[in-house]
Amino acid sequence: MYLVSPLVLLLLVALAGGGWSAWRARAQGAAPAVRQRAQLLALLGAASAALGALILLAPLNFCPFELDGDGNADRLNVMLGIFILLGGAFLAHRVASSLVGRWLRGEALPGATETRTGLFSGPGSTLLALLCLAPTLTILTLFLYYPMFDTFQLSTQLARLGAPRTRFVCMRNFNQLLGDPDYGRTVLVSFFLAAFIVLFSLALSLLIAQMAYRPITGGRFYRALLVWPYALSPVIAGIIFELLFHNTAGVLNHVLYSTFGLKVPWLLDPTIAPWTVVVASTWNILGFCILFYIAGLQNVPNDLLEAAAIDGASAIQRFFSITFPLLSPITFFLVVTTTTYAFFDTYGLIDFLTAGGPVESTTTMMYEVFEVGVVARNLGSAAARSLLLFGIVIGVTILQFRFSRGRVMYGS
Amino acid sequence: MKLRRTLAGLVLLAGLTLLPPAQAQGQGCSADAPCELDVFIGFDDQRHDWAQARAAEFGALFPQYRVNIVPFPDYRPLLDSYILAHEQGNPPEVVQLLASGTQFALDSGYFKPVSQIIAGRDEVLGQAVDFDDIVPVVASYYTVHGEWASVPWNTSTLILYANQTLLDRIGVASLPLTWQELEAICAQLQPLMDDGTLRGCIVWPNHGWFFEQWLAQQNTELVNGGNGREGRPTRVDLTSAAALNIAQWHRDMYRAGYYLYSGTRGDWLGAVHVFATLEVPFMLTSSAGVGGITRTAADMGLEVTTGRMVYDAEVGWTGNTIGGATMWITAGLEPEIEEAALAFLLFFSNTENSASWHQATGYVPVRQSAVALLDDRGWFAANPAFRVASEQLADSQVTNATRGAIFGTFVETHDLITQAIEDAMLTDRDLPEIMRAAEAEANLVLEEYNLLFEDN
Repeated sequence: MYLVSPLVLLLLVALAGGGWSAWRARAQGAAPAVRQRAQLLALLGAASAALGALILLAPLNFCPFELDGDGNADRLNVMLGIFILLGGAFLAHRVASSLVGRWLRGEALPGATETRTGLFSGPGSTLLALLCLAPTLTILTLFLYYPMFDTFQLSTQLARLGAPRTRFVCMRNFNQLLGDPDYGRTVLVSFFLAAFIVLFSLALSLLIAQMAYRPITGGRFYRALLVWPYALSPVIAGIIFELLFHNTAGVLNHVLYSTFGLKVPWLLDPTIAPWTVVVASTWNILGFCILFYIAGLQNVPNDLLEAAAIDGASAIQRFFSITFPLLSPITFFLVVTTTTYAFFDTYGLIDFLTAGGPVESTTTMMYEVFEVGVVARNLGSAAARSLLLFGIVIGVTILQFRFSRGRVMYGS
Repeated sequence: MKLRRTLAGLVLLAGLTLLPPAQAQGQGCSADAPCELDVFIGFDDQRHDWAQARAAEFGALFPQYRVNIVPFPDYRPLLDSYILAHEQGNPPEVVQLLASGTQFALDSGYFKPVSQIIAGRDEVLGQAVDFDDIVPVVASYYTVHGEWASVPWNTSTLILYANQTLLDRIGVASLPLTWQELEAICAQLQPLMDDGTLRGCIVWPNHGWFFEQWLAQQNTELVNGGNGREGRPTRVDLTSAAALNIAQWHRDMYRAGYYLYSGTRGDWLGAVHVFATLEVPFMLTSSAGVGGITRTAADMGLEVTTGRMVYDAEVGWTGNTIGGATMWITAGLEPEIEEAALAFLLFFSNTENSASWHQATGYVPVRQSAVALLDDRGWFAANPAFRVASEQLADSQVTNATRGAIFGTFVETHDLITQAIEDAMLTDRDLPEIMRAAEAEANLVLEEYNLLFEDN
């Protein structure tokens, strides 16, 4: 039994999709070719929205809207169901309307603009092209698309490594996370660490690169040393910093104690431990950022800087008015890559440095995915966690792209 | 033509690669073409060397079998590898599993209980079957519903280590037996902690096993169903009076500055480090470390003594439970291989080898005859630190609490307990609330486990 029949849900989504398409077609600014075909577009909009919702919800058997044995619906389940329903409808509608719009406006469809000449232009070329692409497609299917599909499937199941069976549990794995304050804290910890890792690594690397890119004797060797920490895996970085910061056996506390009679609970105090992780992660990724900034700085035109200097601009003014804006593509690239590093690649470092503690103060979403999936062997919950993490990082990246519009200058 | 020949060559090579080896298992093992038995163990240090030496001895006794000891750095990757090997249809014949994984091993259907293979016999391939000789508290842990599921190997318990050189210097005459005696000695050591000579009074790794041991001492069960001994458990109890008492003692010891916590959960090496660098006079850790710790101490010119795990005098002591791992035989083996696997395990854990294993590592001799043998040889008289663990287990009353809990999510529950104890020490949160939250999570994990396994 369902709270709302799947058919009714699809009809509602189709109505919404069709209505939206019709309104867009009749709206001011739409091309005449589009306005003339408003009815056809409404129909296509309705069909695509319904199809999008169906593709996502049919494999789940519309379970978020199912009633339990007592005839009650789980509110969180229903909300998740509506989110999936609207998300699927929106994405499918967006793709369909974009393709149909281009077709009606007489524009070429994506991928059809290239001139087809050469080996792949004759008869049977598609087959040959597919044959050539087969190794890549096979690898992508085996190691990317299939695991991705499997992750989606696992996230709706109760599944443990070594268990004789799995059980379909619909949205239970997601429900548990969304209703769990500890998971909320984990998300906050992840954002906190990521924000400061990105901020510190970019600021410090720019500062160091500004000093290191100049032509000096032994500069190459010096620059190679600066990049060296990046050559170490996060696990090694974790071990090095554990040796430094360990509360009872650490080098740093030994020096501090013998010099100042002071011991800092680097890994014991929940308010200090996250900063220790930030420092260690920043050190680990710093070389990567320095490398890009040095390359960027070497390409900043000297004549611009000299002209500004002749005009009386101070070193700080030259940096903020010329150098920094010209480095914006590199800065943007580094913001995206260090954000990805902070969210995904710090597991090894955290595991060796703090093991997620003390008091979960350094437990990130990625750390939890590994702990739940690999250590506790709870594959279903880990899959749900990894999908949420994936969604959040995609969201952050989209925001970064949106925010960077107009602020990043490519070319002259 | 050349291409065809190359292709034909490749096909032939592939065919040869995929052909079964000349000596397929179960088709008659002989000294010329011995059958191979893979044994996965969770040690890759000198304990692996010891196991390899025993495998070689077994090979000399039975040249028709070759035992390959496959080392892993830890129990978790070992079990993961076993599960994956099983799913791929190529599991090893024997695997070492952590005691806390007993219920999973039974539920998985991967293994055949050794009682069923023995089928009432007194010997297997000339190797004596004498499980009555196993130390009672060890036997009580590993017998499930009256049946031996696996063969005990590395068994340990928690004991107290003391830097006797330091204690002699400050005039502490005897080792503490109870929490209260320990606290009194710690208070006596307070000036040394204040002036920085000592970093604390005692250290132990924050790990769920300690909680489990203190719970057993207070004769309190961790899960329902008679601690999982009388039926599949459905509830974990972390809010019993004993559980709260243990959490409170952690909080008190930490806040008094007596318990030195490194901030890292399960920091076994960190605990040994601060004990070895003379920063604390007492350490609680596994009896399995007694060999290494006493030898290292002797090299440093220090005397390390051992005592029983301290208990709460206000509640009393019922006994301690065990830890460690046992050896399981994979189900579905060819009869000849199954016999060989069992014979190897009986050889591996016979009186002589049980005594040798204890001497090499400090793990408890699992056979009473091995304890007697070591006594006769004067081993305990010469190495009194090694005796404590055996005595502690021998004196333990066998109850469902001291037999140790058996349930499918024991490992995860250990982790949740460890986390709760850390919260108890490092935060000001209400203690019953901390334990209630951990209990709720442990119950949820157990419920999910039971949903997947209970009909198996």
